Amino acid sequence: MKKYLLFLVSSLFVTSVAFAADSQIWGDMRLEDILGYGQAESTKLGPLFTMLQSNYFAKAFLVVLVGVPLVFLIHYLIIGPKVFSHDGKKIYAFSLLARVIHQIAAISFMVLVPSGFIMVFGSTFGGGEFVRMMKDLHGLATIPFAIVVIPMFVIWVKDMFIHWDDIKWLMIVGGYLSRKKNPVPAGKFNAGQKTWYWLATLGGVVMVLTGASMYFMDFDIAMLREITGLSQIDILRAAAIIHNIVGVLITALFFVHIYMAVFAIKGAVNGIITGYKEEEEVKILHSSWYKKLKKQGKI
Amino acid sequence: MGELARMKFYCDDQRCIDCDGCSVACAEAHELPTGVSRRKVITLNEGIFGKEFSTSVACMHCTDAPCEQVCPVDCFYIREDGIVLHDKEICIGCGYCLYACPFGAPQFPRDGAFGTKGAMDKCTMCAGGPEETNSAKERELYGQNRISEGKVPVCAAMCSTKALLVGDGQAIADIYRKRVASRGHGVQSSPYGWGSAYGK
Ligand code: SF4
Ligand code: SF4
Repeated sequence: MKKYLLFLVSSLFVTSVAFAADSQIWGDMRLEDILGYGQAESTKLGPLFTMLQSNYFAKAFLVVLVGVPLVFLIHYLIIGPKVFSHDGKKIYAFSLLARVIHQIAAISFMVLVPSGFIMVFGSTFGGGEFVRMMKDLHGLATIPFAIVVIPMFVIWVKDMFIHWDDIKWLMIVGGYLSRKKNPVPAGKFNAGQKTWYWLATLGGVVMVLTGASMYFMDFDIAMLREITGLSQIDILRAAAIIHNIVGVLITALFFVHIYMAVFAIKGAVNGIITGYKEEEEVKILHSSWYKKLKKQGKI
Repeated sequence: MGELARMKFYCDDQRCIDCDGCSVACAEAHELPTGVSRRKVITLNEGIFGKEFSTSVACMHCTDAPCEQVCPVDCFYIREDGIVLHDKEICIGCGYCLYACPFGAPQFPRDGAFGTKGAMDKCTMCAGGPEETNSAKERELYGQNRISEGKVPVCAAMCSTKALLVGDGQAIADIYRKRVASRGHGVQSSPYGWGSAYGK
């Protein structure tokens, strides 16, 4: 952990040193950019970004913001939440370390998601001081997330690989389309949680990197240009495109995650707070894991 | 200029001698911070005999300006004469306009220790900004407003070879045609950069 922090701090230092060098955008590179824009042999990232940003990104975020909660409202009204007994035995599911890491990521997300939305719909908020503050907050909240994202990846990765159960889980959409409490095929984490895990960790790293590129903008990492074969401005354009697309996906699944933990499974959120899950909840929603624990004599 | 004047820039690459005077004049006239050059002289095909030429670039005040299309806070406004301006008090410094721009025109003076970007700055064609015309605030944020006084933008005014021209697009195109014809070996059908900026 210490080494990891050291690495983070030193890489920040390296990027700030790079600032001292010549501009990678408005210096000699500017020429290359002007020549390249929209030309047949160029990457066409400039016109592509312009087209996507002016027509699609804000709309996609709006669909997530309105559409996903609407689907959940309908689900809640028609099928309703799963309620499990909270008087039974508890099963220890999340270590203290896992909970702390998760909570840091959770708090970062609660800042990152709304501040990101405010920027996407910046004109609705009139721009200026308020939206600028949200932009800075978006950047600040990235720091704690960037620190915990890799440890979070490591502590859970062994439980996250695809399993036969996951296919079965997907076929019945996790049992969320029925009110019955039939055992659902899933290990410690179900297919939905696994999808969220991969998107939040790997996608999260992508978000941090693309976001940081846009935030620092005129940094000078020659290696990055060599590997990608892109000019600095095209790296930024690619970053903006990727950040928006992955952002749409992450916010959508983030809403799903919250709905599940808070509304769809009554009291499920306590699991990550106390570390204990309700026995009945595990027995039904994570039936394979339950059987395994039973066999091992842990319950 | 008639009623339908559509202001455009044109830099004659046969005349430009890479003296950088326009860029310096601009920086001085608008008291730009170091590191920001609204106008810059670039040399293309450097070292290739017969093909090398220099030209001066700044914001071209594009038709259907891409910057205006992507700004998440809608801080751009386009004047009737085609000049593309923006409101720095609304701008959040996100950088999107730069990604959309074919000319690398939008720039971001760094303020703050962590290199955070300030509001975007670009060429105003010497037409100031949304503040009261010729007010101290307008000058502070956007530089001189020469257009309001009937003056030519400072870059074109000082260009010693009259390579850099600014004015109604029709009039500029006429001059361009005359110059190309007089040289007798016209190659380009329209001035360099006009395709990207004003459409084919
Ligand atoms: S040159 Fe760039 S900044 Fe100027 S109007 Fe065109 S897109 Fe906008
Ligand atoms: S940097 Fe400012 S002007 Fe440019 S797109 Fe962002 S908010 Fe708009």
